[in-house]
Amino acid sequence: MTIISRPAPSALAHAAAFPEVADVRSWCRQGDWAALSGHFARLPTVDDAYFTARIVGDQPEADTFLPDVAQASPTDPLPRVLLAARAIGLAWQARTGARDVSRDRLDRMHAHLRRGEQLLIDVTARDPADGVAWALRLTNARGLELGQAEARRRYDRLARHHPHMHGAQAQLLQQLCPKWGGSWAAAFAFARTAAADAPEGGLHAGLLAQAHVERWRELRGGEQAAYFRRPDVVAELADAAARSVLHPSYRPVYGWVTTHNLFAAAFSLAGEHRRARVHFDALGDLADRFPWAYLGDPAEQFARHRARARKG
Amino acid sequence: MIELTEVDGVPTLVAPSSGQTAAGLMFRVGQADETLSRHGLTHLVEHLALHDSGLSDYHYNGETASVYTHFHLRGSESDVVGYLDKVCAGLAALPMHRLEIEKEILRTESRSRGGTTTLPVRRYGARGYGLPGYPEWGLSRLGPDDLRQWVEDYFTRDNAVLWIAGRGVPAGLRLPLRSGVRRVVPPPTAVLPSTPAWFAGDDTSVVFSAVVRRSTAASVHSGVLERELFRDLRQEGGYSYTATSSYDPRGDGYATITAYADALPEKQGAVLGGFVDVLARMRHGAVDPRSVAAVRTKALDKLNHPEIEAARLPGHALNLLTGQRHLTVDELRAELSAVTAEQVHAVAVEAADTGLLQTPHRTTADWAGFAAAPTSSAHEADGRRYAHRDDADVALVIGPQAAGIVRPGSRATVRYDACAAMLTWPDGARRLIGDDGIVLHLEPALWAVPQAELAALDAAVDPDRHLPMPLRGPGAIPRPAAGRPSAAASRGGAANAGEVIAIVLLTLVAVALGVFGVAQAVAAIRTGGTPLDLTLLGFAAVGTALFATPVVLLRRRRR
Repeated sequence: MTIISRPAPSALAHAAAFPEVADVRSWCRQGDWAALSGHFARLPTVDDAYFTARIVGDQPEADTFLPDVAQASPTDPLPRVLLAARAIGLAWQARTGARDVSRDRLDRMHAHLRRGEQLLIDVTARDPADGVAWALRLTNARGLELGQAEARRRYDRLARHHPHMHGAQAQLLQQLCPKWGGSWAAAFAFARTAAADAPEGGLHAGLLAQAHVERWRELRGGEQAAYFRRPDVVAELADAAARSVLHPSYRPVYGWVTTHNLFAAAFSLAGEHRRARVHFDALGDLADRFPWAYLGDPAEQFARHRARARKG
Repeated sequence: MIELTEVDGVPTLVAPSSGQTAAGLMFRVGQADETLSRHGLTHLVEHLALHDSGLSDYHYNGETASVYTHFHLRGSESDVVGYLDKVCAGLAALPMHRLEIEKEILRTESRSRGGTTTLPVRRYGARGYGLPGYPEWGLSRLGPDDLRQWVEDYFTRDNAVLWIAGRGVPAGLRLPLRSGVRRVVPPPTAVLPSTPAWFAGDDTSVVFSAVVRRSTAASVHSGVLERELFRDLRQEGGYSYTATSSYDPRGDGYATITAYADALPEKQGAVLGGFVDVLARMRHGAVDPRSVAAVRTKALDKLNHPEIEAARLPGHALNLLTGQRHLTVDELRAELSAVTAEQVHAVAVEAADTGLLQTPHRTTADWAGFAAAPTSSAHEADGRRYAHRDDADVALVIGPQAAGIVRPGSRATVRYDACAAMLTWPDGARRLIGDDGIVLHLEPALWAVPQAELAALDAAVDPDRHLPMPLRGPGAIPRPAAGRPSAAASRGGAANAGEVIAIVLLTLVAVALGVFGVAQAVAAIRTGGTPLDLTLLGFAAVGTALFATPVVLLRRRRR
């Protein structure tokens, strides 16, 4: 089990899908705060800002200039939010990268998360409407094992200002799964409500694909093989795809790569290759690590199932 | 409006009041003046002094607080004269034939009260302002001479203030008290190496305390904190039923702010998280100025009560006793009106720096930037080591200066010259409590230690600090698991004594967890910066903590 299942959007797929991701990375490498903060200021939605913050969180070069920027502007939330995103990146690395005993790794991971969390406590104290900070605090709550009630509280604080923030919903959905102390009833109830409440054409119904994939992953043997063959599951997935990435008003926003990958994987596992193909076609070569890593080597699994789907 | 006069050398405050007369005789002595081995002394004096007051028709009472003892009543003028006369007579000649009975009554009272909070112990240790967090263990050794000496030292006319709300000093009122000296409040002790700090308490609540300079702005801050907690945790989140904050001047220019929120077991994480966020908001001054205005207005409204002068008399008396500034109603009104959001913010910053947070059990607050309050001593005792009969990882150390129990990653060390008390059981068990609150509990059967070494402890600790405990039944005396048929089965059990020793401070938590009540009725008085300690009213029993302690251990062990 991974501690943070989705540390950041998968590198290659998203860089290919959105050229500005490469710009963000390059500004981080150059320490170009003016360009980076200017870019954030122009991002139209809280989900865009969250997605981009997670990209920054994966850039080791960010460590060279973000602390100075934060110190120079004590009330600016952005450098603090990005430092906290970076702390999550480092926490993820500490958890999985090293070869030493797991207690030490866990301690190092927690130390990173605590550092980021304390920055975010201050950011949300000053501005309770900072959706990116709250979404990062959802990931922190999970990594620091603060429990279901606290994760839900954080989401509720966020949702007062951002009722349909998909990136945060995907984080909470992870927490609501049994592996994090939740229950399938809670996970599905949340995914269904979030999908139903959100405007059509967004990514929100993709939460149902995420929930089903998580559910499938916890099953074993015959139960697992049979799960995606269930007509009610397929019907719910088909409906979810129609409400989201296949809806006429859908536009490819940040996160679309993951959502299409989820539907492609779910329909492939269901043996619904015709349905899967639509999603593979939308993706082209944009294989996401998630959820294909659940099946094996992500690139290999993506290629194999796409080939099967294209055969018809 | 308020008249300051004198009755038999006792400074006397008089304010007009209609209806029955109310009066109170307050002495500058309380639990914080005691030592752990004599803890309960003041309370016992209070009970004995009241015993002969003989009264049925009017309401009278006694109260023993941290820095004062208060005898008060409401009744006719002749009731007041009679009551105070009996109190003074009682103090002059305590009814010692009642000693053992009153001790029993006090023990029962503490049981029915269910315990006290451990916040004072964590902040101050086993001395001074930490003592209200301990059981009244001194009762077992206090004798008539101890009580007489205490009265002579503290219950004197020079260490008292009388207040009367009524038509004036009742005719015939006498206060025949011995002379003495005015006693300053004890200096605060400190055991927290750094603040803000946290420790895990029971599973029912989150409690926060802070020590700030006493001011009208600080009393407003407490009101704002309560308001913000109530809104976030009760009205918006629904995680808590009760969310309160109290402001209690300590008598030395500082005041303690204590905020409390209850929590259902499944909501603990959210109550803690919400609490932390409210504290952060206060610290950053990101509080709606309307909150400050609302608290100010409410406090000002209370000052409009027609008998506000009378209602503020007990607080006034305490200010006089402790030499603290006392504001008139007009002064207080002016200060309240002038309190700004910026001043409240400054208090919040001060409060954050001195904060001590009691988290629900099985939770921490290190993630929020709080340092863990120590549960282990900084230094290991130097001396001969003895093995635990069941646990190879644990060692008992008995040395010439200190004794200790050492286990991997932690140690409990008590120096004999800094041992606040040693509980002694007839079966040989010993519990040493350091001035810093560190506890060393020793079950002789569990250690491969010669009897003579244990006797050395008795000789090393000042006999004045020995506290004889009642006989324990054979079932209550821990035995090594090795000698029993099912050694393995008992290892994880609730009664595993080795574990209990390891978490001595948690045991204290389990024994003495309480809940702060807030006396709404005297909120106006408190807002005014007067320190009448009517605030510690409702202590709620938390028996579950006793059973939860082993659960904590098991959970930690599994991680």
